[in-house]
Amino acid sequence: MSVHSGQLQTLLPRESLLWVFAAQLVVLLPHFAHLPIWLVFAWCIAVYWRLEVFRGRREIPGRVVKLVAVSLAVAGLAMTYRRWFALEPMVALLAVSFTLKNIELLSRRDAMLSLMLAYFLAATLFVFDQTIPYALYGVFSLLVITAALVAQQGSGSARAGRALGLSAKLLAQAVPVMLVLFVVMPRLGPLWAVPQNTSAASTGISDSMSPGDFSRLSKSDKPALRISFDGPVPPPEQRYWRGLVYTHFDGRRWSEPGITGNRWAGRRSRVRGEGEQSLPAVGPRYRYQVIQEASHNPWLFAMATPHSGTRGVRTTDEDTLIYRNPVGSRLAYDVRSWPRDSIPAQSQLSAAELRRHLQLPDSGNPEARAWAVARRQEGMDAEAISQALLTMYNRSFTYTLQPPALGANTVDEFLFGTRQGFCEHFANSYVFTMRAAGVPARVVAGYQGGEWVEQQEYLLVRQYDAHAWAEIWLPERGWVRVDPTASVAPQRIRDGLQSAAAEEFMQDAFLPLHKIPFVTRLRLQWDMINYRWYRTVVSFDAERQEGLLRRLLGEISPLRVAIFLGTPMAIALVALLIWLKLSSRGPALAPADRVYLRFCKRMARAGLPRNPGEAPGDYARRVEREWPALGLMVLRITLAYEKAAFADDTGALKQLRRLVRVFWPLRLSARSGISTNSLPTSAR
Amino acid sequence: MLDKVSFEASASEPSGSLSAGALNRRWLRWLDRRLPAAPSVTLNHRKLFVLPTAAGMGFLLLILLLWLLGTNYENNLVLALVFLLVGLMVVLPVHTFANLSGLKLRLQDVDPAFAGDFGIAKIAVEKTGKRTHERVRLNWPPEEGGLVDVSGGEPVEVRLDLPLVRRGKVRAPRIRVESRFPLGLFKCWSWVDLDVEFLAYPQPKSSGPLPWGVSVGEGEQEKSFSAGGDDFAGLKNYQPGDSLRHVAWKQFAGGRDLYSKEYASGSDARLWLDWDLLAGREPEVRLSNLCAWVLEAERAQVAYGLRLPGLTVEPALGSAHRHKVLSALALFPVKGVVG
Repeated sequence: MSVHSGQLQTLLPRESLLWVFAAQLVVLLPHFAHLPIWLVFAWCIAVYWRLEVFRGRREIPGRVVKLVAVSLAVAGLAMTYRRWFALEPMVALLAVSFTLKNIELLSRRDAMLSLMLAYFLAATLFVFDQTIPYALYGVFSLLVITAALVAQQGSGSARAGRALGLSAKLLAQAVPVMLVLFVVMPRLGPLWAVPQNTSAASTGISDSMSPGDFSRLSKSDKPALRISFDGPVPPPEQRYWRGLVYTHFDGRRWSEPGITGNRWAGRRSRVRGEGEQSLPAVGPRYRYQVIQEASHNPWLFAMATPHSGTRGVRTTDEDTLIYRNPVGSRLAYDVRSWPRDSIPAQSQLSAAELRRHLQLPDSGNPEARAWAVARRQEGMDAEAISQALLTMYNRSFTYTLQPPALGANTVDEFLFGTRQGFCEHFANSYVFTMRAAGVPARVVAGYQGGEWVEQQEYLLVRQYDAHAWAEIWLPERGWVRVDPTASVAPQRIRDGLQSAAAEEFMQDAFLPLHKIPFVTRLRLQWDMINYRWYRTVVSFDAERQEGLLRRLLGEISPLRVAIFLGTPMAIALVALLIWLKLSSRGPALAPADRVYLRFCKRMARAGLPRNPGEAPGDYARRVEREWPALGLMVLRITLAYEKAAFADDTGALKQLRRLVRVFWPLRLSARSGISTNSLPTSAR
Repeated sequence: MLDKVSFEASASEPSGSLSAGALNRRWLRWLDRRLPAAPSVTLNHRKLFVLPTAAGMGFLLLILLLWLLGTNYENNLVLALVFLLVGLMVVLPVHTFANLSGLKLRLQDVDPAFAGDFGIAKIAVEKTGKRTHERVRLNWPPEEGGLVDVSGGEPVEVRLDLPLVRRGKVRAPRIRVESRFPLGLFKCWSWVDLDVEFLAYPQPKSSGPLPWGVSVGEGEQEKSFSAGGDDFAGLKNYQPGDSLRHVAWKQFAGGRDLYSKEYASGSDARLWLDWDLLAGREPEVRLSNLCAWVLEAERAQVAYGLRLPGLTVEPALGSAHRHKVLSALALFPVKGVVG
């Protein structure tokens, strides 16, 4: 209990300052990783300076120093970031405004502003990452910022335990509102194009394939896709998750002319429109949802002839899916896939398509070309040549994660020299040879296989499941998948990389954790939790919202949503009202007082209220004077009240009750036969 | 004429559209009905108002911006954070309200003061329920007032000061009781009328030394009899406290009751602070001058009396006397007395 009289404390006390800095630190800490290092230093210096000012060792910087600081910060931002319309510069800008505000953090208002910025910065963290650890950290930073707000209220509130406790209490009470809003609030979708997180290097399948790329991927056990099926599940040998098609070969690298970096160049011409899709309405198909980890590339992964209803996902001419932006954070999309043989094949390749799929460099790999031409001259058709090639692989080739290095003629050296390779070597040599034989062919890159988690709840596809295979075009059947790796190492397709290359698998991993079954199980459990988190919370979109509401409400009509929203609100309101009623009642009134007050209320309604503080006796005399018709009755009530209240006379209380029960001023005065002039002056 | 026109204009004000003055009057009338003056007031939902502060409005803007961020990035965690902050905004007014509800204010004491100085009202603040009340500000805007935390059972005393401009009885305006606890995003307030009335003595203005032995209108004064001179005037019954030197021992020895000898002076030697001494000045100035004399006499520890038109206070000394004299000065009706 204390009285702080006198000056309104406009200058920030020490606790307030420290709390603001603590909140800033908590919010900035996870951003330090991608903020430029000078900004981190600048923040530290600003905090140090402000604390020195507090200790009285330094002055608040003057206008010149501030101007220099602002120009330096702007120059620093301009030097660090080339593109302004992106996520990182915006976060950096927020951090800079924090820093600059710190050196003139003087009043309560400044502190409030700084903490509002902190809330915003805490939210931007989620744009970078939405995993469980980040979500927990977000809750933590929210707790600290709110505690800092509490601490701004004064020294009593600034104690750490008190501030954090109050903050936790307030946030906990806000949670029910959050849950209801989260379920009910409509998701509008992007209102305008926003900058995406572009800084991170892309991971996974890249825009081109040269020898060695896939063996590099095979060393990573990071998750790439999580796929859950709705209905039938394709057998293992069908689980080819197509991502990209490479049609152009420059002698060493396979690539796709339409793609540069992580962008589609001629996106509009290459992406198939919605209307052209002629997929059968009935027939066998797989329905599944893919949750893709951030790859920072726009291509998505699905089985052949896919279609997706998810917003922003389009189907390309090569039967792959593509997203409108590089996938900067986890993305969920629903896919339906029609097996290729269930849809009528394209009868003819256009001349341009034919040229594209037969393209070969002018020179190089003469032996392979000669081999192909020889097969053609033997009169073999496309399927026979393909078969001959696959038989050759099967007989004398080895599947290995550590193939010997290849020189300039990669195909020749592999086919007729080393004969040891990984999937990319097989795909590369196969497509090259088929093209040399005049068969339209292309390399397909993606993932193959996957590992079941929790009794087939979902299929976990990791980076080491990355795979490259081939497709050839047959006149009657259209595009047909051919996986040359399958003819060398069929267990790779059936059981995955680990069984196909047990010795070499994850050989150079820092800790060979994959060899300890317990750890493997634990990691799968953790993946499971992540997956559930992602499915229920992060990817809760308009469609899922509709589904959930339908489950909860039966059908979605404005009325039902209103009831759903209104019921908890009504309950809360009623509880609040009851609480108000209970808390404002004060000490209970004596029965006599209560009855007398009822009498006073009736008198007031009739137009002659008792003045505040007027004694009952005085009041009765006044009534007698101003409204004679009631005089006798009022006098009797007053007498009974005084007896009941001050002499504790139970008989008088009974009498008082009886009198007041029949006391209706207007009716009484009407009955006494005297008209309007019997009313008090004020009621006339 | 001009005066009259302007008077009419101001009189027609309430019937016209809602001018600021009319609104203000209406607001005060409404407050008077809802929160009648009483020396003890317990705050409850009838008496309290809750609204977001400027910071609260800023917070709403922040929520809007974050919602745009979350919607544009289709980021559910950002949206969840937005909804949590909305939840906070839903919960906060209840807390802010609860921090003031049940608070009891009681007027304890009002100290009189000189005009131009601050009148101090002592107000006891206590809780009626179990709930504690933190960071409650009481003030007469635009005065700073005091901040108070009520956590224990005993009442906390707050001293509020109000600048007193004119002498006389000063009815204090309503006290603003406000709290922004716990986050400063909402304010809950009330305008409480504790029926505070200050007595403002005139502002002391010195007008030279004390008027020793000066009196006005000798002829009349001479007849008026007052005690304490040199000439023997007669006997009166002894009363405890009369000087023993003045006891009529001769008569006492002669078997009669105890008498005191009374002396009278031709010119009254006692100190009279007289309104008429200051003729020719403004009435308010006269009162201020009298006030200054009172203070000087008190300082010099000399008994003094006061003569105002229609009021005479016999000479005496001490704080009760001082208060009596100063009150007379404070409440002296200037109207009707001509210069």
